[in-house]
Amino acid sequence: MSNQIKKEKSCCFCVNNIKEIDYKDIRTLQRYINVYKKILPRKRTGLCSWHQRKLAVAIKRARIMALLPFTGNK
Amino acid sequence: MSRIKSSETPHYEMLYIVSNQFTEEEVKPINAKINKLIVDNGGAITYSEDWGKKKMHYPIKGFSFGYYFLIEFDVNGEQLKKIDKNLRMSSEILRHQIIAKVKKSAEEIKQEKEQTEKKMVEKKIAEEEAEEKKEEEAKKEAKKMDLKDLDEKLDKILDTDDLL
Repeated sequence: MSNQIKKEKSCCFCVNNIKEIDYKDIRTLQRYINVYKKILPRKRTGLCSWHQRKLAVAIKRARIMALLPFTGNK
Repeated sequence: MSRIKSSETPHYEMLYIVSNQFTEEEVKPINAKINKLIVDNGGAITYSEDWGKKKMHYPIKGFSFGYYFLIEFDVNGEQLKKIDKNLRMSSEILRHQIIAKVKKSAEEIKQEKEQTEKKMVEKKIAEEEAEEKKEEEAKKEAKKMDLKDLDEKLDKILDTDDLL
């Protein structure tokens, strides 16, 4: 249908062999939230389903401890 | 959290925030009190870390700053409930979060940290090298241009000399 070239994305955590996503590691988590501080969808992150689930849990835990904001100001 | 049942006491990690109304010296006894609470309930502290004063991303109970502390310990489930209840009752702690974790020794944690730091350093070095290369290439190009210009200038001068 669409003639767009599809880029093959590989899961960043699978490539680097990371099995646990730490909720205290804000630097990596920040890469996966947008300007409004929402968790990015798998379409954008390019993660595998297993890691996407782990990431979502980690971000939510970080939010509870005020390490990440729930919403953006913009 | 699904955990494999074993005879070993389960391992937990807790991050808690002490409110900003205390000074750094006043926080120390509070920290000691919490450590004591865990030990009194039959827990064994394996690792502890002080993150210091940090700005929170949103205010909790009117405080926008807090002292973060990280603790890892082994306790049985029933005792954990008591600890959790106690912490929730205390007014000094703004928030706490207990998470089940795979057991790791303090040395392993240190090693992991060192490894991540090493990776960061390597990345930085690689980036710097790339920048240096770019600069060198730019310099080389500039030099080539200079030589060409010089040749042209020399030719011109020589030509004029011949004419005279």
